[in-house]
Amino acid sequence: MRAALGLLGVAVAAYGGWLLVTRTDTDQLVDAGVWLASGVVLHDAVLTAVVLAGAALALRLLPRPARAPAVVGMVVFGSLTLLAVPVLGRFGARDDNPTLLDRPYLASWLVVAGVTVLAVTGASLVRSQRRPRAEQED
Amino acid sequence: MKRPPVPAPEDFRSRLRSPAVAARVGLWLGICFGICFLTGLISHYAQEPSQPVPFPTYPSWGYRVTQGLHVITGMAAIPLLLVKLWSVYPRLFLRPPFGNLRRLTVDALERASIGVLVAAGIFQLVTGLLNSTQWYPWAFSFRTTHYALAWVAIGALVLHIAVKLPITRDVLRGDVDDTTHDRETATQPGTLSRRGLLRTTWTASAIAVLATAGSTVPLLRDVSVFGVRSGDGPGGVPINKSAKAAGVTGLATRDSWRLRLGYGDGSLLLSRDDLLAMTQHTETLPIACVEGWSASGDWTGVRVRDLLDLVEAPRGSDVLVESLQPSGPFRETTLQANFAEDDRTLLALMLNGEPLALDHGFPCRLIAPNRPGVLQTKWVDRIEVLT
Repeated sequence: MRAALGLLGVAVAAYGGWLLVTRTDTDQLVDAGVWLASGVVLHDAVLTAVVLAGAALALRLLPRPARAPAVVGMVVFGSLTLLAVPVLGRFGARDDNPTLLDRPYLASWLVVAGVTVLAVTGASLVRSQRRPRAEQED
Repeated sequence: MKRPPVPAPEDFRSRLRSPAVAARVGLWLGICFGICFLTGLISHYAQEPSQPVPFPTYPSWGYRVTQGLHVITGMAAIPLLLVKLWSVYPRLFLRPPFGNLRRLTVDALERASIGVLVAAGIFQLVTGLLNSTQWYPWAFSFRTTHYALAWVAIGALVLHIAVKLPITRDVLRGDVDDTTHDRETATQPGTLSRRGLLRTTWTASAIAVLATAGSTVPLLRDVSVFGVRSGDGPGGVPINKSAKAAGVTGLATRDSWRLRLGYGDGSLLLSRDDLLAMTQHTETLPIACVEGWSASGDWTGVRVRDLLDLVEAPRGSDVLVESLQPSGPFRETTLQANFAEDDRTLLALMLNGEPLALDHGFPCRLIAPNRPGVLQTKWVDRIEVLT
């Protein structure tokens, strides 16, 4: 059963590879390859290094009650920022189409950042009030 | 003290990086990838000019929903993929079993399959995200490449599920805090509990969707601060490609424009006034773009079937619809017989009570139910019944 499932997976992936190779010109194929490899390298080396360094710094600088709220804030706000990069940069914007990318993205991002800071600070303050009990729970 | 240049799995001590966490996030990530794959296949098929099984015209909002789901689940998958990769990151630095050739081969194959899965997964989410914002910083054809790599990603995912099935089943049945399958060194309590991390991940996914889905879900228009479109536009409907970008401004606005209607040897030339003099019908139909945005409109115009009757075209014929635009992959589209026969399929002259704006396809455009936006030909020049 597992072996059959595995073989099915290999066959489906191979079909995709065949589609890619047979329907794409060589220079386009090279470009697609560069994008495929870049995604992995940018995630595994660059993004992860930034996240690990940021987390280490936050753990060192922040008082204990602020750490958990800060992690929650970083995960939510960090992933939101990452997927907002194309609209924040308005890279696809066109002068002849005012209905595309027509929101105040940077202002929204700053508001979201502000709300995140407020929420993290608020949660940290609440936790610092409760701290003795929280430590007992640990 | 000298530090090694590359970390070892033992350097990652947090007990949050556990299969119990990875499997739970992975389950939802897999569901999102599955929905993306199926809705993507639907979209790809809907755009094929020749369809052995005709794409249905009912419900008129079908494509709007499937393509909306495609983009929504893709957005939801971004935080899920990030947390999933974080939870298994130490495995990247596992030492290969050099002593044993057989185990080394199996290890290399598994790493290769994971490499393919991660590369294709990131590629699909990144190119899909960029495409939804009409940003194309690459040389390859988006549609061909995104389609081919969808098969690669889903195949590698099925293989991954097959490889990990026993451990996945085990950790999903057990408690999230169970440590049976953890690495021996992953014992340090995390800043959050495992449940806390999972709740954070679901929240991040939900917020990613809320922040973007307003481009296709009207209810969310006000909260989707990172939506690609606010929903505004001429006649209350946004535009995908302007007349200027298509290079049709001059051709579409000249007085001598005539719709060329043809069947076999017979042909007719119709001005916009001729079309307005015919029986007008109004249909509420969505325009649903492959990039994932959509909007509903009240379209008024002539039934395509009424036009076909003018040249006495037989029932059940496919129809070629040609745009004035000089180039572009969708300059010519095939309107399959079932769409041509549907009473709701119009050659629209008005949108929401206003004359069709130039950017919406003036002098006239095709609008049919349950059809991808790229096939709703604008600036129609010629309608030819295929025999």
